[in-house]
Amino acid sequence: MNASSSARPGRIAPSAAGYLMLLPALAVIVLLVIVPMLVIARDSFAISDPLGGNLGGFTLANYEKLIDPVYLKTLGYSLGMALLNAVVCTVVGYIVAYYIATRRASLQPVLLVLVIIPFLTDFLVRTFAWITLLGSGGPFISLLRALGVDAQSLVPSQLAVTLSLLYAFLPVAVFPIYAAMRSIDPSLKEAAADLGAGWWQTHARIFVPLSASGLASSVMLTFVPTLGVFVIPVLLGGGKDPLVGNLIVTLFTEFRNEPLGAALSMVVLILMLASVAGAGLLLRNGARRNRSLGKDA
Amino acid sequence: MDRLTSWIARAVFLFLYLPIAALIVYSFNSSEVSYRFDGFTFRWYAELFADRMLLEALRTSAVVGVIAALVATVIGFLTAFALVRFRVKGRAFFVGAILIPLIVPEIVLGVSLLTVFSTAGIPTGLLTLVLGHVVITLPLATLVLMGAMSSLDPSLTEAATDLGASPWVTFRRVLFPLLRPSILAAFLLSFTTSFSNIVISTFTAGVGTTTLPLRIYSTLRTGLTPELNALGTLLVVATLGVILAVGVSQMRRILAGPTTTP
Amino acid sequence: MNKKVLALGALTLASATVLAGCSAGGDASSTGAAGDGTLSIYAWAGEIPDSAIEGFEKETGITVTVDTFDSNETMISKLAAGNSGYDVVEPSQYAVQLMVDRDLVASIDQSKLEGFDNLAEKFVDPSFDPGNEHSIPWAWGTTGILYNEACTGAPVTGWKDMWNPAYTGKVYMLDNMLSAYIAGLQVNGLSATTTDEGDIEKATDSLLEQKAILGGYNSTNYADLVGTGDACIAEAYSGTTSATAVENNPDVKYIIPEEGGTLWTDSFSIVKGTANEDAAYQWLNYTLRPEVAALVTDDASLASTNEAALPLVADQSQVENPAIYAPAESLKNSEFIVDPGDALAFFQDGWTRVRAS
Repeated sequence: MNASSSARPGRIAPSAAGYLMLLPALAVIVLLVIVPMLVIARDSFAISDPLGGNLGGFTLANYEKLIDPVYLKTLGYSLGMALLNAVVCTVVGYIVAYYIATRRASLQPVLLVLVIIPFLTDFLVRTFAWITLLGSGGPFISLLRALGVDAQSLVPSQLAVTLSLLYAFLPVAVFPIYAAMRSIDPSLKEAAADLGAGWWQTHARIFVPLSASGLASSVMLTFVPTLGVFVIPVLLGGGKDPLVGNLIVTLFTEFRNEPLGAALSMVVLILMLASVAGAGLLLRNGARRNRSLGKDA
Repeated sequence: MDRLTSWIARAVFLFLYLPIAALIVYSFNSSEVSYRFDGFTFRWYAELFADRMLLEALRTSAVVGVIAALVATVIGFLTAFALVRFRVKGRAFFVGAILIPLIVPEIVLGVSLLTVFSTAGIPTGLLTLVLGHVVITLPLATLVLMGAMSSLDPSLTEAATDLGASPWVTFRRVLFPLLRPSILAAFLLSFTTSFSNIVISTFTAGVGTTTLPLRIYSTLRTGLTPELNALGTLLVVATLGVILAVGVSQMRRILAGPTTTP
Repeated sequence: MNKKVLALGALTLASATVLAGCSAGGDASSTGAAGDGTLSIYAWAGEIPDSAIEGFEKETGITVTVDTFDSNETMISKLAAGNSGYDVVEPSQYAVQLMVDRDLVASIDQSKLEGFDNLAEKFVDPSFDPGNEHSIPWAWGTTGILYNEACTGAPVTGWKDMWNPAYTGKVYMLDNMLSAYIAGLQVNGLSATTTDEGDIEKATDSLLEQKAILGGYNSTNYADLVGTGDACIAEAYSGTTSATAVENNPDVKYIIPEEGGTLWTDSFSIVKGTANEDAAYQWLNYTLRPEVAALVTDDASLASTNEAALPLVADQSQVENPAIYAPAESLKNSEFIVDPGDALAFFQDGWTRVRAS
């Protein structure tokens, strides 16, 4: 095994066992992901029935309808929010994951579980707890008012939305980063310290590159699902700026326009697949470079 | 700088428990409205234990969560192992396909899954719920485990193989111990994702399998009741209690003397 | 690594499961074979009190399973997929129309009903279901205004107050298209059940204009917002949420706007092709009894459609509370919000513009 071989180091040539291991996932993906997506793709060209069903047939009208400033504006705003959330979650997630990964081995699982416990309480119950905390009867506002500041309720506000998105998505950022970081040989850090590398250098040259796959997962797991969020913008943001998730839910439920909802979903799906594929390509090149770099360190 | 990030991390833990603290305080609030604290009461706990439908929903969620997370972690492990360790054809396709459930808005996936199940003649119920949850937790479990495996030094397993260990022995003696925390991470993440899912459950639940989030979400129109604060408090306190019990005994063992494990 | 560490995760989950294990109640996995002594109901949460279900089970020996939904639309899509396993559903008025059109509910054999004449007049032969052929109304309410007088400084009388710039940032509308259009249409003196494109356009313009002074759209915790004064005035549904807000703050009031009122009602319907038809009729007749119907007010703070039930309500102040039972005189011009049919497209186009503007 050496870096000069064209294949990634440590990867064994395909064998029956390798494909066998992929079978269960293949079954899930084909039956429960690809088939449903084909159903949606089909529906996006169907004619909608005002009663809420779909009449079949073939039309491009649904896609034509989407070329409307209303949808473009919402899509743009959603992408911005998703990007912001992905960056915030990944940065905070990295800090927390690093903290956990550098604790005593016996303490690490305890800390991981501590990260996850708050999420055993229901999402809505947590969200309402935030509303109580940030609302005008809550401790923050009361404290500010006691200090003589004329503070208004923090709900609804953009800040409240950002905070609760971070809250909702933090574990999916922490876990993959932690999983990747844990396997980093701790002696690398000592070596870096011995060589006089500062904090930034140690992270930029060792921890970030070696946990790149975890960071990439974190970005993906926080960016993409933000687009489907629909409760938070309404409850903490006042619902005046809907995310694309709100629109899709509205199309499927209140508007009972499954074909239009399907068309919007296809657009989101294709946008996301393209950006994931793009990010994957970038990352693969980056990872290859970093891997050899990590080995050198 | 390490000290600063440590403090930030601790602050984040505080941030995570802030709403939980509010929840606990308000679970004893005798007022019916959340914006005022009127006094101390156990009323909401009494109502919680009398709420048959809510407790049944909790049971459904726990059962579905454990099964779905187990299935997702096992399949995710196999998939991650195959993708990281073998040069398989169509690797990009696999990674992409596993990610699709994350990309598709849940309501779309939910509606189309319902269509698929009803076309296949599978009645909605526990089975469809678990299948629906496996779809959305599999990407999480797979990504976590892929991340862990790809930064693992491959020479470790190769050494084991070179020394004549069978694949099963290599897995049990080398790979599994090394990956144990990550497997736990994948399982926990899958469980909580399933446990808190609303949208997929809406379309895959059947008669008698209303999950806890579904139950709570459907009460939004009439307002959330403080008994939900009581339920949240009990779940958190019970879990913390278990951890403390295990954690403390473990720490004592560490303090008591040398252990055989690092 | 200690082995106990792994046990940790398992124990975490075990604690959740143990807590869940406290739940009593039978195993409800049966899917409902022909008349197997079970009844599966799909209903709004909080509208069928446990007391009513327990009474029915005790009396008939039938095991009842109740599942809850969060919107008519999700309920309909579950039923439309077929093979849902439900026997009785609880659609709102416009959803009854949709379900009849999509052939999802059975017609009710009126000769099998007992106690139908207990229903209040406005729920007999309603506009959305002529002759009650497919639905027996159970609970009802209104769409009105919840306001905080300490904040508005003066009594609020109608929708026009929701366009008052003095309350900028403290006005909240329901996050629901048809409900928002009630205000948009009635404030212009138009009927809330119009299907005229010009009328709907006018309402859309009003809603767009209103957005500048809105605090937000909210269908969930608006009552708390009004209670704290974060919202001065909010479009609201009557029922538990509004009633609790009124009871807990003397400044909070619920009114039916003078421009007109609208009614909603949630009814029981029998699912087409149910295997438990007898049990379903038993349920309908059971819920038509005044003493059972009174439970919806006693235990769920909702208005009962059952006229004969009113004197039986234990706490008569609930019957006097306008946030539960709107006074009869305020409902003189009230109408049910019915399905707009083809005009839905006009509402949708307008609402999309309002929400995204």
